[in-house]
Amino acid sequence: MSGGPAVRVSMESQCERQVQEVSLDGLETYVPPLSMSQNLAKLAHREPWSQPEPEEDEGVWGVFYCGAAACALKFQPSLWPWDSVRNNLRSALTEMCVLHDVLSVLKDKKYMALDPVSQDPSTPQVFQLISKKKSLATAAQLLLKGAEKLTKSLAENQEQRRQRDFNSELLRLRSQWKLRKVGHKILGDLSYRSAGSLFPHHGTFEVIKNTDIDLDKKVPDNYCPLNVQIPSDLEGSAYIKVSIQKQSADIGDLGTVSLFRRQPKAKPGSQMWHLKLEAAQNVLLCKEIFAQLSREAVQIKSQIPHIVVKNQIISQPFPGLQLSISLCHSTGEKKIQRASPDKSKPDDHLYVLEHNLHQLIREFHKQTLSSVVMPHPASSPFGHKRLRLAGPMAYDKAEISSLQQSEGLLEKIIKQAKHIFLRSRTARTIDSLASRIEDPQIQAHWSNINSVYESSVKVLITSQGYEQICKSIQLQLNIGVEQIRVVHRDGRVITLSHQEQELQDFLLSQMSQHQVHAVQQLAKVMGWHVLSFSNHVGLGPIESIGNASAITVASPSGEHAISVRNGPESGCKVLVQFPRSQAKELLKSDVLQEGRWTHLRGPYREVHWGRMEGRNFVYKMELLMAALTPCP
Amino acid sequence: MGVTCVCQVPVAEGKSVQQTVDMLHKKLEQLGAIKQGNFWVDCETYHATGNATGQPSKLLYVMHNSETPLSSMALFEGGPGLTADANFDVLMVKLKSHFQNAKGHKVESRGTRYRYCDFLVKIGTVAMSSSARGISVEVEYCACVIPGDCWNLIKEFMQSFLGSSTPELPAVFTNKAEGLYTPVDCMDTMSQYLELFGKVRKQQVLPGSGVR
Repeated sequence: MSGGPAVRVSMESQCERQVQEVSLDGLETYVPPLSMSQNLAKLAHREPWSQPEPEEDEGVWGVFYCGAAACALKFQPSLWPWDSVRNNLRSALTEMCVLHDVLSVLKDKKYMALDPVSQDPSTPQVFQLISKKKSLATAAQLLLKGAEKLTKSLAENQEQRRQRDFNSELLRLRSQWKLRKVGHKILGDLSYRSAGSLFPHHGTFEVIKNTDIDLDKKVPDNYCPLNVQIPSDLEGSAYIKVSIQKQSADIGDLGTVSLFRRQPKAKPGSQMWHLKLEAAQNVLLCKEIFAQLSREAVQIKSQIPHIVVKNQIISQPFPGLQLSISLCHSTGEKKIQRASPDKSKPDDHLYVLEHNLHQLIREFHKQTLSSVVMPHPASSPFGHKRLRLAGPMAYDKAEISSLQQSEGLLEKIIKQAKHIFLRSRTARTIDSLASRIEDPQIQAHWSNINSVYESSVKVLITSQGYEQICKSIQLQLNIGVEQIRVVHRDGRVITLSHQEQELQDFLLSQMSQHQVHAVQQLAKVMGWHVLSFSNHVGLGPIESIGNASAITVASPSGEHAISVRNGPESGCKVLVQFPRSQAKELLKSDVLQEGRWTHLRGPYREVHWGRMEGRNFVYKMELLMAALTPCP
Repeated sequence: MGVTCVCQVPVAEGKSVQQTVDMLHKKLEQLGAIKQGNFWVDCETYHATGNATGQPSKLLYVMHNSETPLSSMALFEGGPGLTADANFDVLMVKLKSHFQNAKGHKVESRGTRYRYCDFLVKIGTVAMSSSARGISVEVEYCACVIPGDCWNLIKEFMQSFLGSSTPELPAVFTNKAEGLYTPVDCMDTMSQYLELFGKVRKQQVLPGSGVR
C-alpha cells in the first residue's frame, strides 16, 4: 500500500443510550448507563431465586457465582464496541486498495485494458409508432370494454326506471281506482256499482303502457308512462242543466239544448289519467241521473204529463212556467262551436238543483246498498234500519210514514224547483213593493235556516220615524212548495196560492190597515181618545183589494175630532170636526138657545191631505193633531 | 206522541151504547172536529204458571194500539211495562209453558178517530167477547209531552163535549216518581187503558147490549 494522502474517515457511534429528556432548547439528556454493579444487580434480579434447589446452600452460592461468572464472560466478546466498525473499515480499506491496484495496473495498459460496454442502437421511428399504437390499442380496448359495460348498465337502469315509473304510476292508479288483471290486460271499473248503483253500464276502462318513448329526446311535460282507455260513450264531459223558463218553447225546439260550459280547471299535480277517469265517471253519473229521471217521467202519472225529448225532460210545475232538465254531453271535439242562437242568460242554470240531483242519486245508491247489508241483530226483519226500531220505540203512524219514502227523484226535484221558484217570486214581489211604495215602509227579514221544501220570511210594515209606536202589522210568511202561509200578529192564518197577485194584494191591504193602526197608536201617545175603530168598514166605495179601515179620534179637550178612512185603492181621506162655535156656515136656529151648545163639535171639514206638510202619513197626522190641540 | 187521557163515559139513561157513542160523535162534529179513520186498542191476558206458593198468579197483559201499529206492549198491573215490536206475540206463543193465555178475557176497544187542530179524540166501544160493555174516550193533545203543562187545557177541552163526565188527572201521572213534569210514554196510555178495561171487566154485563 502506497502511502497516499490520508483520508479522514468520520464516524459516529450509534446512540446506544436512551434519551431521558429533551429540553426546550434541544439539548438531550441521556439516561446514564448502568455501572457494573447495577448491571449485575439487574442480572441477579432475573434469576429465579424463589425456587427451592435440592442442593445445599453452598450449591446456591455456587450457582450464583456461576451466574456471575457467566455474566462476566458475556461481557468479553463485546469488550470493545468499536470492533465491528474497525472490521468494516478494514474491509473497506482492502477493497479500496484492490481498486487502487487495479487502476494503477490499468494505467500502464500493458497487462489490462478497458473496453467500453456496447450500447444498444436507437429504435427506428416506425417501430416506435407501431409499438405505441399497439399499446394504445390495448389501452383503448380496455377502456372501450369498460365504457360498454357502463352504458349497458345505464341502459338497464333506465329501462328499470321506466318500468318502475310505470309500476309506481300503476300503484297510484290502483290506490284510487279499482283494477283487475284479465289475461294480459289490466282492466278497471269506474262505475258506481259497488256504491249501490243499478245502472246497467259496464264502466270498464283499460290501462295501457306508454313506455316506448325515447328517453334521449326531451321528455314532454305531461308525459305519463300510463294511459287509460275509457269506453267511447263516456268520452268528453257532461253536466245536467236544470233551468226554469217563463215562456214555453215550441215543440220543434225541444231537444236542442247543447249549451256547454267551460271545462273545470285541472288540479295541479293530478295526472291525466285521473282527469280522464273522473270526467268519464261524471258522464256516467249524469247519464244515470237522466235515465232515472226519464224513466220516472214516463211512468209516473201526474196531472200535466212530463215530456221527454232526446236529452231533455220538460215539465210544468206552475201554469206558464216550464222546468227543463237536460243532459248536456260534449265529446270535446266541438269545443269551438257556439252555434246556439238562443244562448240564454248564463245564470239560468240552477246549480243548486243540479247539486241536489247528484246528492239524491247518491242517497238512492246508499239506500240500495244498505238494504242488502244484513241487519243487526240477526233476528230483526229485513228492511230499513230505523224501521226495526219502530216496534220498541212505539213509533206512531206519522213517524213510520216519514221513514218510508215513496217519492221518486223526479218528484223530489220538481218539488224543490217549485219551492225555489216560489221563494224567488215572493222575494221579487216584496222587493218591488218596497221600492214602489215609500209610505208605509215594508221590511223583509229572511230566515237563514230553511229546508229544500220550506223557507220563511218575516215582513214588517212600519212608518219611517215611528217604528216603535206603529208595529202592529207583522207577518210571518212560510213559503212552502205550492202555497204561502201567512201568520198575522193578531193570530190569523191565511193561505195564499202561488199567484203573485194574491200576495201583492194582500200586502197592499195590510199596508192600508197599517196606516189606520198607526193613527190609533199615535192617538194613545198624543193623548187623543179613540172614539171608533174598524178594520173593515162596510160604508163607502167598495175596494177591489181588501177592505177600507177607518178610525175616529177626539182631542183631549174634546173640541176637535179627526176621522180617517184609508183604503188600498181609494187612498186616505181625513176629516176634521170643529166645535160649533168655529163653524162659520152654521145656521142659527131657534132650538139651541143656550150658549153652551156651541162648544160641541159640529160639522166636518175635509183636509187636503196632499198639501199637508210632512214626510209620511203618520208625521202629517201628528202635525194635524198638534195643530188641533191648542196651547193652554 | 202527546199527553193522553183515557176515561170512561157512562151510558146515557135509557140509551144503548151505540146511541151514546153517536151522541158523542155529533157533539164532536159540531165542535168542528174532522173524522180521520178508525182505531182499536186490545188487551190479552196471560197467567204466569208454575207458581209454587199458591198465591194468585201474576197476570201479564199484552196490549196493542193502532196508533203504534208495529209495536206490542206488555205490562203487569201497576208494575213494569215493556214495549216491543210485533214479534212479541210470537214470542208469547213460544212461552206457552210459562204464560198461559186466558182466552176469554180479551178486551178491546174499537171506534172512530177525530182530529180537532192539535187534539186527537178517539171514541171507542169497549167490548169483551163481542158484547159491548162500555164506552172509552181518549183525548190526546199532540203538541205537548208534559202532562203538568197541558192538563188544564185538556180538561177544558174535554168539558166542552163530555160535560159532567170529565175525569180528574189520571193517577198514572201523579204516581210517577218524578212528578207531573216528566215526558209521557206510550206506557202511560196503555196503563190507563188497562185500568179502564179492568173496571169494565168487573162491571156487570149491561142489559140490552148485543153484538156491536
